[in-house]
Parts: sequence; structure tokens; C-alpha cells
Amino acid sequence: MSNVNRTELATADSTTGDLLSLGVLGAAVLTFVGSWLLLLQWVDEAATVAGLPVLNLLGVGLVVIGGGLAFVGVGSRLDYVDTAPSSTAGVVVGAVFGLLWAILGGLVGTLALGDATVLWLPVAAVFGIGGFLGAVLPREDVGSTIPVAAILLLLGGFIVTGGIGAGWTWSPAWSSAEFPGSELVPILVVFGTLLGAWSAGKAKEGFGAEGRQAGAYYLIGSVVFAMLAVLALLIAFIVTNGLQTMLTGTSLFGGRLTVPFVGVGLPWPEFPFLMNQTGGLYVEIPGVLPAVVGTLWLVFGAVSFAVPLGIGAAVFLTEYAERGRFTQVVEIATNGLWSTPSIVFGLFGLAFLVPRISGGNSIVVGQLVLGFMLLPLVLITSREAILAVPDAHRDASAALGVTKWQTIRSVVLPAAMPGTITGVILGVGRIAGETAPLLLVFGGSPYPSNTPNVLTSFTLTAQPPFVTNEALLSPASALPYQLYSTITAGVFPKEIFTNTEFGWGTALVLLLVVVGLYAIGVGSRLYFRRKLHHE
Amino acid sequence: MTQSLPSVGELPTELRTAATRRAEATKQWARDYRSRTEDGAIAMHGLVFGSVLTTFLLFLAGSQWTVLPVLAFLATMGVGWYRYQAEAAKALTFLTTVATVSILTLIVAFLLLESVPAVRAMGIDLFTQVRNPAMENPALGQGLWGRGGVWSLTPMMLGTAITTVIATLIAAPIGIAGAVFVSEIAPRRVREVVKPGIELMAGIPSITYGFIGLTIVNQYFYVEFGTPTIGTYFAAGLMIGIMALPTVVTVAEDALNAVPEPIKSGALAMGSTEWQTTKSVTIPAGLSGVSAGVLLGIGRAMGETMAATVMLTHTKGFPSPVFDAFSNYGETLTTVIAFEGGNASGIHMSALFAAGVVLFVMVMILSIGSQYVEWRMYQKLGGDQ
Repeated sequence: MSNVNRTELATADSTTGDLLSLGVLGAAVLTFVGSWLLLLQWVDEAATVAGLPVLNLLGVGLVVIGGGLAFVGVGSRLDYVDTAPSSTAGVVVGAVFGLLWAILGGLVGTLALGDATVLWLPVAAVFGIGGFLGAVLPREDVGSTIPVAAILLLLGGFIVTGGIGAGWTWSPAWSSAEFPGSELVPILVVFGTLLGAWSAGKAKEGFGAEGRQAGAYYLIGSVVFAMLAVLALLIAFIVTNGLQTMLTGTSLFGGRLTVPFVGVGLPWPEFPFLMNQTGGLYVEIPGVLPAVVGTLWLVFGAVSFAVPLGIGAAVFLTEYAERGRFTQVVEIATNGLWSTPSIVFGLFGLAFLVPRISGGNSIVVGQLVLGFMLLPLVLITSREAILAVPDAHRDASAALGVTKWQTIRSVVLPAAMPGTITGVILGVGRIAGETAPLLLVFGGSPYPSNTPNVLTSFTLTAQPPFVTNEALLSPASALPYQLYSTITAGVFPKEIFTNTEFGWGTALVLLLVVVGLYAIGVGSRLYFRRKLHHE
Repeated sequence: MTQSLPSVGELPTELRTAATRRAEATKQWARDYRSRTEDGAIAMHGLVFGSVLTTFLLFLAGSQWTVLPVLAFLATMGVGWYRYQAEAAKALTFLTTVATVSILTLIVAFLLLESVPAVRAMGIDLFTQVRNPAMENPALGQGLWGRGGVWSLTPMMLGTAITTVIATLIAAPIGIAGAVFVSEIAPRRVREVVKPGIELMAGIPSITYGFIGLTIVNQYFYVEFGTPTIGTYFAAGLMIGIMALPTVVTVAEDALNAVPEPIKSGALAMGSTEWQTTKSVTIPAGLSGVSAGVLLGIGRAMGETMAATVMLTHTKGFPSPVFDAFSNYGETLTTVIAFEGGNASGIHMSALFAAGVVLFVMVMILSIGSQYVEWRMYQKLGGDQ
């Protein structure tokens, strides 16, 4: 309906309205970005732009947005701007505005009347009811712009006139923290611009159903954008802080590789942070080699424990068992294992495995505990993969007179393999970064000076276990555990790095391992999916 | 309701018939099994199950002879695989299924077993005591952990509650918005970037989040907001909220995707805009799944250990007022286990296991609740179940 109206009455006026709303949106985006720059402290609070302190500039931004919105709203109501508004903005919008105005009223009440009075409550209630009615009673174009504009103008005015500024601090009685204006202003402005963008988005599409869609999309889009920005920031923090530590002493041809038997030295890449021990007397540049090797052993052990178990259980559940009480119990148990907190696995390992296997922290217990954590993921993904194999394959195989087990072995499992492999890789990415259970059952000294030597320490004995492995039964280090112990230990033993620098380097290596596994997992998923669709 | 229940007098008869029916079914199954399986295979099955059971019992007893039944199992399996591959495979897959279930059972059993001493010493006070009478001036929430033989989990339970609430306030609305964006709004190209990005967010190790929280977020709050200590519930809750986000997004998005396309097309055909369809058709239809995602996210936030362990102060007590998330106190159920589990003993260790039990029960309730809610949604939408 709104579409019809607009195409019919498209005149020069509607473009004015569009332009104005677009301008407001632009101002909102600028102010939004500006306040984030301040919050992230990339711009100093005391900085000035064109003679104005930045905080005041944010206030000016809010005033501009508010003024523009009021102009558009009133213009639309007086039919200067062509729109298709509904009769009211709706109760939900009204409730949100009522709440916002109530908060504003409460703040004004406490600021104007002092903390001691109880008067802020009625003031807040009056403001809240006013906000609700102001949004609900008038036509949509006024109801969804004027209350926003009023809030923004008030807030912006306060900030511009210096009512809330860099020097001002709010220290409420119920909180141990104080809220300085230099931080509070950007935070308020972020919310204000989100509100302004919503309103301007509505106005740009001429209110009505289309307008509400545009407003909602702007709001959701900016929230999602912020979420992805946080992710990018996290990764950027780790990379920028860790890169220097990780690359200390690296060179492409600086090292020497001595060819055995010939004795000729060849130029060889050098990567001390990855190839050196963490502790030890003669290590110039401490590295994370023990942790890397420890992580590899942990992952190897966990995978070789969990993958056969998980796939076996998935085969039984999908091919042999009939749906009923038993499969339900297994499903609940699997989901329960999946959502059990990692630290509880650690406690279990401490109570059940440690006294029976090694009597102390050890690699093998760590492998088993991580295997327990990997098991539900393997089971769930391989079960889904087996279920996705079309029944036609099974029927065709059965029609040829092939037995059930042979069908499973040569038809079902090969077809389900891609999905299972992807699930295992993604699960490994998850357990490779797991720390909490390792604290209880695995971790050794914070700065190990030797790598766990598992392969060469198998020994045969005449006593009952017959085969023992000292290295598997002793504690070690892993990348996430190394990061934790670096953070919590006091002073770093070598002068070359501080604890924090070494921590950033370790975090970067850990991130690379996990992201690498993850990329392989997602890549294989895409590859197999594409292959499946082309066939 | 009352008519459907049998009267008390009939109950024994009912039970007896049920028992006979069950016994009959078992007999029938045994007869079938006997006639369908070769004698050698039956012997193999017996040996396999027997050796696995012996292995488990010996291991439980901590015997050094555990290796013998393991060898027996391997030998039987080897011969069985060669002679009766199908039967051996079936037995093996059954064993793996039983192992999966028994791991969860063992976890529950050992948590409960190890927490018995603390419960015996403290009784219900372990979960409810808020004042320590042994102290000079028994202030609220002070000296509840190991002072004068008092072990009470209340400060940690409060800490978990505070961080979880903060994390949920962050993760739930943003996560739902993200799910709506990915499943309803984003064009295909954008979705192909955003979705792996969110999964990647879930993959970043929690200790990394903790390290960033420790070096950047904690410092920020300390310097700018003048918190009494470096490390507060609010900062930790913020970080945990970010970590719980991907769980909410993924599960909620799956739920929105599961809403059948014809329902959405119907709404669009009636002339409603896409947003009206999303708001009034898709979200209400997928609401159970969305709330399942939120429940799972809460569970993740509650069980999150490393970020909180690294960021919090490990001072136990009640902030005053209770919702003051910026106080100098900071300890949750998970952090106390991770921080003290390495060198605790006796009743202290047992109290840590009790903390594990509380955590496990809470998370399990959330997990089963979300499974139930999700199951109901698929029932309603007429999915494949």
C-alpha cells in the first residue's frame, strides 16, 4: 500500500525529505564512529577538532541529528515532506520510549534534587508516562521522531554547554566505581546515535511498513557490525601485540642446517620462538617448543581415544539400535556431556583417573580428559553425517545380497566420512585451546626446559603393566596452559621478554593453531559440500 | 487425571503383568539371539563383554593387573574380527555406545562421591550459610571459606549469578539480533562472510579472551572508572558475554532457519514486508528454538572458567549492595575450582567437588530445558521427529 502511494505522489518534496534523512543518517554514522574512537582511546579525550573539544563535538553531532529528526517529523506531519505514516508508532515503540524517558527523568531527578531525596521516582514516572504518550498518541511520523529528537537535543545540549563534560564525574552510592564524563558521554552518545539511526531510517523510507523495516534493519545491522568489529579487534590486538615477540630473532637463511654424514652447513630458516625451549640456562630467546609438542601429543591422544568411540557409537545408534528408550538416553547423555563445563571434566579426571593411572599430573590423563570432551562432538557430527547418507544407497546394497555389516563398512561409512572428518577437525580446534581441565590434571612447571620425549621412553618391564612410558606419566606443558602459567607466574626468568610480551607471543601461536585448524575444517566442509552438489 | 491412575489395589497386579511381559520379551530376544548367532560368535560376545567388565572393575579398584583383561579383550577381538566380523563389529559399536553413556554416569558418580565429606561436615549450610558465627564480628559474607571449619559456597554462587546475568544481558539481545540478521536479513554474500566469522569467534580459546580481558579490559575499567581493584565482576561478565554470543547466534539461527519456507512465503504473499514477516511470523514460530539458544548460552556463560579465573580477584565475599558489579570481590564456582583445585586437600577439596556438583546440576538443568524446548518446537512445526 505504501508503495502505491509513493510512486503516485513522487514529487520534488519527497527527495528533500530523503536527502534530509540521509544527512541525519550520515551524521549519526559519523558520531557513532567518533564515540567509538573515543571509547577505544584512539583519540584523546582532551583533543580538539576545529577549536572544539571532541566531547563537545559529539554533543554537536547529537544536536544535529535531533534537530534534523524534528525537522523531518514536523515536515512530514505538515505534509511538506511526502510520507506514508501509520496512525500510530505502536505500543512497543511507546514502551521503549517510555522506559528511556523514565531513565532520563530519574537521572534529571537525582541530579537536580540531589541523591538524598526519594523524589526521583515520581519524576521518572512522570517522564516515562510522558514519553509513552508522546510516542503512541500522535501519528507515526511525529511519534517516532519527536521523542527521539527531544532526547537527543536534551542530551546534546547538556554535553555542548558543558553540563556533562570531561571533568564531571558521577559516583552513585550503589557502585564502587565512578563514571567520569569522559567515558559516560561516548557511551550515551553511542546509544543516542543508534536511536537516531533507527528514527532516520524510518523517515527515509517514508514511515509505514517500509519505514519500520528500514529502521529495524539499520538497528540490527549496526549491532551485527559492532559484533564483527569486536571480533576483528580481538584478533588485531593479538596479532599486533604478539607479532614482535613471535618474530624475535627470526631470519629466512640465518640458521645453519648441517647435513648429516657430509658435514656441510646449509642456510636454513630460523624461528627461535617456535623452536626453542621455554626455560633452561643456555636459551637466549625463550620459545614455546615444549608447549607446541605438548599440545600435539594431547590432540593426538584425544583424537585416537575419542574418534573410534564416537564413530562406533554413532554407527550403533543409527544402524543397529531401534529408536526408543535406549537411544533417547544416549542422546540426553551425549548432549549432557557436550554441555558439561570443562572444569567439571577436570575434577572428574582428578578424582577418577589421576589416582589410578599416574598418581599426579600427567600427559596421558590430559589426553583422556580431552578425549572425553571431544567424544560428544564426534558422536553428534558423525551421527548427522551417517543419517545424511540416503537410504537408497543402503537399499541398493541390500538388494545385491550384501550383509548389513558389509553395507555399513563399504557404503555407509565412506559416504559419511567427509562430514565426520570436518566435525573432528572443528572439535580438535576446540580442545586444542582448552585450558581449565589441564590445570587440574596435566600442567607441569611454568617454564619447561625440555620437550616431552614420548617416543623414546617406552620401556618393557616384567611387572604387570609390562610396558611403561615415563614421559606419558609425567606432567608437561601445552599452548593454552603455557599462556595461563605465563600470566599467573610472577617475573619472566629471562630479560629479553616481559611476562606480558611472552604471553602475547604465546597467544598468537595458539590463535594461529586454532584458526588454522578451523580454516581447514571449514574449507573441507565447503569442498565436500561442493563435491556433493556437483555429483 | 484421577481416572487414568489405577487404584492402589490394582497396582501390584499391574506391576506383575508388566514384569511378566518384560520377562517374556527378554526370553524371546534370547531365543532369537541364540538361533541367529553361531556358537563361536556367542562365545566371543561373552568373552568380550566379560573382559571389558573385568577391565573396568580392576581399573576401578586401581589394580596393576588391569592390563591382563585388556590383553584378553584384544585377543578375543582379534580372533573374533577374523572369524565373525559382523558380530564382532556389532558388539564393538554397542560397547562404544555403552562407554559414552557410562562416562557421564561416572562423572556424576565421582562428583557426588567426592563431595560427600563436605556435605557431611557442613550439611545444607554448605549451600546456604551467609554468616560465619566463629568470627569476632560476623559480617555478611565474610570468612565463609575455610575460616573456623566453615565452608560455604554462597559467595561463589552469588559471583556466578552476577557474571551470568551480566553475560546474558549482553549475549541474549545481541545474539538474537545476530541470528535474525544471518538468517533473515543478510544477502547470501554477506552471510557467507558473517557466519564463519561468528563460528571463528566460538573457536578462539577462552584463555585468549581471558588474556585480553586481563591486559586490556581490566586495565581500562581500573584506570577510567576507578574500580577498587583490577578485575571486577562487570569486566569478567562483559568478556564472558562476548564469549557466549556465538552459541546463542548459532542455535537461534538454526531455529529460525528451521521455520518452514511456505509459512514465510505465505506471509510475504499476503503483502507484508520482510520485516513484518520476520517479526510476526518467523520469530514467533521459531521462538522456542531461539530461547533454547539463549538457555544454552547461559549454560556456557555459567561454565566458563578460564576468562573469569584470569580476570577476577579471587576475593570471596558479598558485594554491598548485592548488584554492585564493580566491587573488590570476585570469585565464581568455576574460578574457585580452577584456582584452588591444584593444591587443595581433605575437606577443602571436597568442598570444591561440591562446587562442581552445583555447577553441573545448574548446567544440566539448562541443557535438558533447552533440549525439551527445542524438541517441542520441532514437534509443533511438524519436522522429522
